[in-house]
Amino acid sequence: MSDTTAREPVPVTVLTGYLGAGKTTLLNRILTENHGKKFAVVINEFGELGVDNDLVVDADEEVFEMNNGCICCTVRGDLIRILGSLMKRRDRFDGIILETTGLADPAPVAQTFFVDEDVKRATKLDAIVTVVDAKHLLARLADSTEAQEQIAFADIIVLNKMDLVTAEEADIVEKRIRGINPYAEIRRATKSDVPIDSVIGRDAFNLARILEREPEFLSGDDHHEHDSEVNSVSFEVDKPIDAERFNAWITQVLASKGQDLLRTKGILYYADDSRRFAFQAVHMIADGDFIGEVKDGDPKRSKIVFIGRDLNRPWLRRGFEACQAGEDESKIQAEIARWSPAPV
Amino acid sequence: MSDTDFLLESRGDAQDLGAWVIGVAFGREGRSCAFALGDGTVRLAEGWQTVAAHDGACLSICADAKDGVLTGGDDGRLMRIDPDGTASGVATYGSKWVDQVAAHESGLRAAAVGKAVHILDGKGAALKSLAHPSTVTGIAFDAKGKRIAASHYNGASLWFVGAKESSPRLLEWKGSHTGVTISPDGTHVVTTMQENTLHGWRLADGQHMRMAGYPSKTKSMAFTAKGRWLATAGADCVVLWPFFGGGPMGKAPTELAGGDGVICTTVACHPTQEVVAAGFDDGLVLIAEVGSGRVVPVAAPRGSAVSALAWNGVGSHLAFGTEGGFAGLIDLSKR
Ligand SMILES: [Zn+2]
Repeated sequence: MSDTTAREPVPVTVLTGYLGAGKTTLLNRILTENHGKKFAVVINEFGELGVDNDLVVDADEEVFEMNNGCICCTVRGDLIRILGSLMKRRDRFDGIILETTGLADPAPVAQTFFVDEDVKRATKLDAIVTVVDAKHLLARLADSTEAQEQIAFADIIVLNKMDLVTAEEADIVEKRIRGINPYAEIRRATKSDVPIDSVIGRDAFNLARILEREPEFLSGDDHHEHDSEVNSVSFEVDKPIDAERFNAWITQVLASKGQDLLRTKGILYYADDSRRFAFQAVHMIADGDFIGEVKDGDPKRSKIVFIGRDLNRPWLRRGFEACQAGEDESKIQAEIARWSPAPV
Repeated sequence: MSDTDFLLESRGDAQDLGAWVIGVAFGREGRSCAFALGDGTVRLAEGWQTVAAHDGACLSICADAKDGVLTGGDDGRLMRIDPDGTASGVATYGSKWVDQVAAHESGLRAAAVGKAVHILDGKGAALKSLAHPSTVTGIAFDAKGKRIAASHYNGASLWFVGAKESSPRLLEWKGSHTGVTISPDGTHVVTTMQENTLHGWRLADGQHMRMAGYPSKTKSMAFTAKGRWLATAGADCVVLWPFFGGGPMGKAPTELAGGDGVICTTVACHPTQEVVAAGFDDGLVLIAEVGSGRVVPVAAPRGSAVSALAWNGVGSHLAFGTEGGFAGLIDLSKR
């Protein structure tokens, strides 16, 4: 008798966004559309409308600090339990949709997928989808940090209620979104009417997909934002990266600046390796893997993007540049030292 | 037939149950053996009878106070399954999950539902509801049934079940605690933690004990019969912490049945002897004698992790189940 349970990880789609933005409408559209897929749905206790689905789980959104005592290193304890339990009957569904409250910080959700061994083994974060209201987004961004974070964390942004704004207003909103997160895909919608396959099964969190999309930076993006605003910077270098230097530098950057860094993503071409390395971090918690051979004619330009608050563009740029193989050793030492705690 | 399967083939009864085995328990009457599954059913080893227990998944199972078993499910129900397979509802808790169940031979039953632990009597009447600061992840009665411990975020709460005034002794330790047990003599409380460690409290003086060094999360632990050792899963062997001679503080743990590099997922201690049964991530089930370190295989690896393991009350039978739904019941009595 054999009994093998090696199975593909279950894709999890995170749906976030403010109350009234159209998140539940999108959820119900995903569930009712005829796509032949079954979903387990994890909803928050303050859900706007009823959700019509066989398998619906109420989540308590219990955010726990990890043992290092750092305020940004948090996970969702309820999610670890719920996903663990759902795995015990995973033949009943093809994917999981996780709705979060409008006030939730997406970081603990994302970090749960990096940190917990069981969640990591049994599931994969497919994409973070943020639904925003085109008419009210600018006001939300002005008065709440969560709204900024939900944009910063998004892989896909559904810019909803397009019928309530003019084309010019929509462009302004989109420009503002790009200022926070140039990598997210923006889908304009009315009544959350985006194609289901544009939000489900995207595999956007996959390391191999990182930075695959060209960023849509604003032209002249060097204008200085207010320090508390979420912002992004990205850099590219020509020469191969020295793996040891990069590791030492990024470890120090994340340790000292991780609370302000919402997401970090990079594609690196290492010296002495024929494969590309994909790197990503949520606050201080990092993950990385080789993602296949370098192709002929590939420009081999290593890229990194930081999305966060109060980003020191020159420091980050110089640091990344100093990670290139062949750069003077003293340069990288100096760049690492910048981020190190002052000697006691 | 593999040599490792000798006991299962010669003295066992095996069955493919087709769903994740979340737990197994023997009734205290000494006859019934019930497997609780992720598909909401309970299977009795006798004839492999199927009992519809929960509309959803079974989340927890334990021996009921006198006979049969109790199960908790994600349908918010606490169920009782008689030794003959008759299922009856004991309590319902709405849309909340009944995550943990426990019972004591004195007649007490407990069900963890969200942040509450509900205490019920032998007839199913609610006696009290114990409130906790966050979701309860594990519950355990002490040997006498006087106290119940509940693990949660930032520690564990220890309650006197019969006390008029309900306020617990709070055992604090920062972090997410995922399970709890009380030593057989009632002197120590130990929790498993999210971060691959165990934490313990010596109740006499509140002394903390950290038991660390696991490569993976400990999801199963049990004290040996007289409480001398705490057997734990989570490493590539059975890790036993000494609770005698001043231990476990400052003492190295003993390791049994290691060497294959496969993580131990489940442990169950023999009710009278210093013998530990262990299940591994590849499906291997074995028993090991603590004193001699001697290991006897019970069931060969079948590729799916052992997720349930239990001895019957007199220690003559061992039952196990896997994530893939393979289950076995082995008669280990002297012949
Ligand atoms: Zn942190």
